[in-house]
Amino acid sequence: MALAIRFALFGCTNRPFFHIVVMEKRRAQRSGKIKEMIGSYDPMPNQDNQKLVAVDFQKLQKWLGFGAVPTKHVAELLGLGGFYPIHPMSYIKAKRKRTLMEKQVADMQAKEETQETAAIQVNEDTQPDSTEDASQ
Amino acid sequence: MAASMKCAWARCLSTILLNSTKHRCQISQPLYASCSNISGDSGEGGTDQTRQEAGPADDTKKHRRDPGKAFTDVRVQKILLRLTGLDLDKVYEYRAAKGAGVAKVALMSDQQLKKVYESASYKALRKLQMPPVLGAREPIDEVLSEDPELEGLNTSKLVFIDISQRVPLKKRTIVVREPNGTLRKASWEERDVTLQKYFPQSGRKIGLPRMFQQDNLECMLDDGKHEYILNRACSQFEIDDPEYIRVTQRTYEHIDGNGKFEDLRSTRHFGPMIFYFTYYKKIDKLLVAFLEEESLEDSLDLVKLYHIVHPSCKSAEKVASMPDATPLEIIRAFAEMDATQKSLVQQAIQTYEKECDSTGSTQLRR
Repeated sequence: MALAIRFALFGCTNRPFFHIVVMEKRRAQRSGKIKEMIGSYDPMPNQDNQKLVAVDFQKLQKWLGFGAVPTKHVAELLGLGGFYPIHPMSYIKAKRKRTLMEKQVADMQAKEETQETAAIQVNEDTQPDSTEDASQ
Repeated sequence: MAASMKCAWARCLSTILLNSTKHRCQISQPLYASCSNISGDSGEGGTDQTRQEAGPADDTKKHRRDPGKAFTDVRVQKILLRLTGLDLDKVYEYRAAKGAGVAKVALMSDQQLKKVYESASYKALRKLQMPPVLGAREPIDEVLSEDPELEGLNTSKLVFIDISQRVPLKKRTIVVREPNGTLRKASWEERDVTLQKYFPQSGRKIGLPRMFQQDNLECMLDDGKHEYILNRACSQFEIDDPEYIRVTQRTYEHIDGNGKFEDLRSTRHFGPMIFYFTYYKKIDKLLVAFLEEESLEDSLDLVKLYHIVHPSCKSAEKVASMPDATPLEIIRAFAEMDATQKSLVQQAIQTYEKECDSTGSTQLRR
């Protein structure tokens, strides 16, 4: 008997869409036993590069009062929205992505450098040796 | 018989409403009060030195004085209502639209007909409610929190909207979390688009309709579709939206250029148009048009409106010093001292006087 504020995944193949709902934590999300729907989250960015999140904050506060507990990911989202403090996982994920990006950038640069040096060497090899031609 | 009865009822009703307490001009007040960007300027007049001469393009500047205070003045509203008039035929003109039904034909006694005209006239006044003329809204620039450590988490913005019930649209919280970690309030443009997605209003499109792009707007204006443009602008934009101000002011300027003021007579846009010209001191062509129609009452109303909106102008001071001035004297004073196209206005006054002399009537004519 764990009342949760969680995502319920709807949408279709290659097109996720989450409803933010109040329901039992361990229930299947499409079982139809949603207590109340209090919002939505669209994880796919739109034409203006926005991800839209709608939350009925009055209902959210009401269910929190009844003892509902947001799941990790809902808590993260609400943290980003300013309702909760920012979730530690948000900082951790951000840090991980930044290091990954930096590593990728460094790898790309290293790759470019090796390609450049390889190209210079190939040029040197294919240029004819002047002494050999003169002797023949 | 029917036409004269209609005219008589319209005039009768206008005077009743102008004098009645039920129809105090408070249509714009609640809307005006809810606009939190109105600057705290004093009074409805203000000095000429503090105001800057501006065309339509300059109106979005921050230091622009707010016309809303002048527009919601009761005296201004009364004059605008009087000038707009009430032409039942025009107000109830057939428009091809959703829900436009077939006209009903009924056999009635004279008394029943009177009652129907009365109720139709009251309903028509609702259709003639003027969209307020306000200054452009100040941009929203509030940052709620800076979190540079969230950089890299998202490559797109996260837009949060509060969909709680029974919250007025203007008060709904909409915030944006940028990819660099900043949490800020959504700008006006973002607000309009997001609110339209979650709380759609009929007649509004998300984003700017192509009709309001500059080139297309010019085409429509040349086709003479002023009323349509203004109606659509009213349904598409908020009245303090810079886009709404741009579209409406361009339309008014086009009307002024072509002298087609009567197109908007007895519509809800006539009042705002008159007010625009008065506020920005461009009433010369309008005054000439009224004089050419030989409606001295309208011309006098226009000059009086000018004196209310700009109480420190030279002709206002002169008229204040001559309490027994006739309407023509007041208009002449304005033409001498405050008209930007002096010769045009003075010529129109002369023509009007000649016409009056020839017809032998110097009484006020509507």
